[in-house]
Amino acid sequence: MRNAALSARRPAFRLRMPPRQLIWVGVAASVIWAAAQANLFSGALINPGGWSLVMRLVDGLLHPNFSPAFLRLTLDSTLITLSYAVLGTFFSLAIGMVGGILSSEVWWQAHGFSQETARPGSIALRFYRRSPWLAARTLLAVPRSLHEIVWGLIFVNIFGLVPLTAIFAIAVPFGAICAKVFSEILDEQPRQPFLAMLNAGAPPLQAFFYALFPSALPNLISYSFYRFECSIRSATVLGIIGAGGLGYQILLSLQSLRYQEFLPMLIALLLLSGLTDVWSSRLRQALGGSTRIEIQTGINHTASNSSIGSTRSAAFLKGSLISILLLTIFALVYLKPDFSSILAPRTTQLLEGILRDSFPPRMPDGGLLYLLRLSGQTLAISILAMAAVGPLAMAAAFVGSGRLRNLGQITATRQSGLSPAAISSYLVRMFFLIARAVPTPIWVLVILFVVFPGILPGAVALALHNWGITGRLMVETVDNMDERPLVALQSLGASPGQIFMYGALPDVFPGFISYIFYRWENCIRETVVIGIVGAGGLGRLLSEQLSNFDYPAITSTLIALILLTILVDLLSSAVRRQYRS
Amino acid sequence: MITIKEKLPRDSSAPNPAVFRLRDVSCHFESVEAITGLNLEIGRGEKVALVGPSGAGKSTLILLLNGSLAPTQGDVEVFGQSLVRISARQRRPFQRQIGTLYQQFHLVNNLAVIHNINAGRLGSWPLLKSLASLIWPLETQIAAETLAQVGIPEKLYERTATLSGGQQQRVAIARVLVQNPDVILADEPIASIDPERSREVMNLLRDLSGQGKTLIVSLHAIEYAFSHFDRIIGLRAGRLLFDLIPSEVTPAMIQTLYKLT
Repeated sequence: MRNAALSARRPAFRLRMPPRQLIWVGVAASVIWAAAQANLFSGALINPGGWSLVMRLVDGLLHPNFSPAFLRLTLDSTLITLSYAVLGTFFSLAIGMVGGILSSEVWWQAHGFSQETARPGSIALRFYRRSPWLAARTLLAVPRSLHEIVWGLIFVNIFGLVPLTAIFAIAVPFGAICAKVFSEILDEQPRQPFLAMLNAGAPPLQAFFYALFPSALPNLISYSFYRFECSIRSATVLGIIGAGGLGYQILLSLQSLRYQEFLPMLIALLLLSGLTDVWSSRLRQALGGSTRIEIQTGINHTASNSSIGSTRSAAFLKGSLISILLLTIFALVYLKPDFSSILAPRTTQLLEGILRDSFPPRMPDGGLLYLLRLSGQTLAISILAMAAVGPLAMAAAFVGSGRLRNLGQITATRQSGLSPAAISSYLVRMFFLIARAVPTPIWVLVILFVVFPGILPGAVALALHNWGITGRLMVETVDNMDERPLVALQSLGASPGQIFMYGALPDVFPGFISYIFYRWENCIRETVVIGIVGAGGLGRLLSEQLSNFDYPAITSTLIALILLTILVDLLSSAVRRQYRS
Repeated sequence: MITIKEKLPRDSSAPNPAVFRLRDVSCHFESVEAITGLNLEIGRGEKVALVGPSGAGKSTLILLLNGSLAPTQGDVEVFGQSLVRISARQRRPFQRQIGTLYQQFHLVNNLAVIHNINAGRLGSWPLLKSLASLIWPLETQIAAETLAQVGIPEKLYERTATLSGGQQQRVAIARVLVQNPDVILADEPIASIDPERSREVMNLLRDLSGQGKTLIVSLHAIEYAFSHFDRIIGLRAGRLLFDLIPSEVTPAMIQTLYKLT
């Protein structure tokens, strides 16, 4: 009975669950609409004149510049990007922890706002009980809906082109995302020990640190390291607004046609991104092995963490935490961010000035209709990208995993060395790494060599980058799949194709669909980035307005972006709920 | 030792003040009636056994007594103060005087045993001390002695999840012991342990209450209600069936209590 009372808790606002068939009709219609927006059905798309540029790029890759001076520049840029990521993550975790506690339901329950009671409250009373919780959640939705680049462009106007701008550009949106995820993790921990302490007279904060926090810690650490992976990618992409680091240098090399500089930078980028990813997934294994998809889509937040007990895992965990501490100190020394400028009077003045100029908002020159058309373009870019990413990533994941080929063989007899399966698996993983390590705007510039400007190059670049991210996550899931049902199918004589259709796909499909829709939420934010290098949508409008310092119009563009993001988030979470149940 | 009168905000100068006073208490969950029209008074130092079939409302009553749950109707007074009308913060000093042993223990599995024991003292520790203790365990002496008292002194720094069910229950008892409350509530403490352990746990609880503490235990093993308690309350379908001293409870009453309908 008590459990019934507890499980009655539910977020206040939710779209009703659409039936699955309806989802697919909606998806098909949206993709056709988006394709029409991108002129896929009419007009020339490929620019045949661009192939000579591609050949020059290939030539540059084959004759890389490995001079000591340039290698030193590469190393310096790598360390800058790494330091941005480390400090950005550090502050986003701080924001996330405080925000996560304040926007968790359980925290306010502990404070008696929604005290457990058998008295049926009126709707108004129930709303009042939820009000601080709802307020915290709503407040955090705004920073989350703008991409790091947009925050970077805002902070540039306040702090200038200094490390602080890059750090905050990562910390603000990621802090809000962390807060949301942390609050969900906290809310999904077993609540009874916490309530037991409260009802023995312990103050809420103490009970929180003794009951909820220790249970949530493995998941919090897992997620924090995943955020660090994301921060590395973000720190790279922030280069394009001039914040320095690898992204900036690659952009410079590309724009000044010095293609021989491309390869050393690319190698540095792959090492940085690849090593972080490996570290992060080893750490997650040490913490009890939730996959990246699980930690993001909220499945399995209460996973058992039985393996923490083992000494090797504990040592690895401890080593990792100490390394992070040392990295943070290194980043502070290397970048020397000037934290005093946060409180400087000049900062306040500039902030006030910008806020004064930004309100009241004004429509852009084309009026509301123009804004709507660009919003439509932005939406179309994200839909096209995800429509490509979904099937491509799923197909590649099964090739990349190589799992289905080695069914039922014990580890020692598994094919190793240079079997075709191993090679294809290796190649697919390498491709995923390159695709996700290279930031989207760089992909846009390369794709613009051969594709005429418009929505399409943006969508292709976005698809490539997200293919890398999504594909890797799916490979991880396939790697961790329960093998027993597949072996059972094999032993009754099913062919590999049949095993795939009847065993593997049904097992992972709902998780994958869930994740693709979750990725769509990220994608709609990322469309701004490709807009800034000229690939259409609201991003392009925003960068034009920013270069004209047209603040009232910027405000309306930002509002359009935020509304669009919230719309996509609502749609996506409705679909994901359908696939989780 | 400080007495309850000095510690609690409200003065209760009667010779044997009621620890709990329930007036016409009903408790509903959606359409299920867990407790209906219950009137009850429990004095200091009493040893009370709550008996009755599954679903009689015993667990609900325990949750009402320690302030976890507010009644749908009626009033629950603890040390003369109604818990219903005061804020969570005002409730805390009263709740500190009530230690509860839950059927599922409600320990934090990821924590070492010592922290789970120290959790019983959070009500009297300041915030900084509580946080510091999570990193360098503080007052280990008291925790170690208490753990020895419940019979597993060697488990002090083990992760709680690695302990067996019986050992976890001892940790839960140790947590209540370091809380040093005036009232101990226990919800079916021997429902899932073997006869030998059951006897040990029941003796431990009885000995504790020998020190002037009030003890309220819900039970299925009716023989312990007669041997270890001085008052037996029979609950059936959320209503009070009898409330007597053990010698007045007849086998017929017990039969009516557990009769299948």
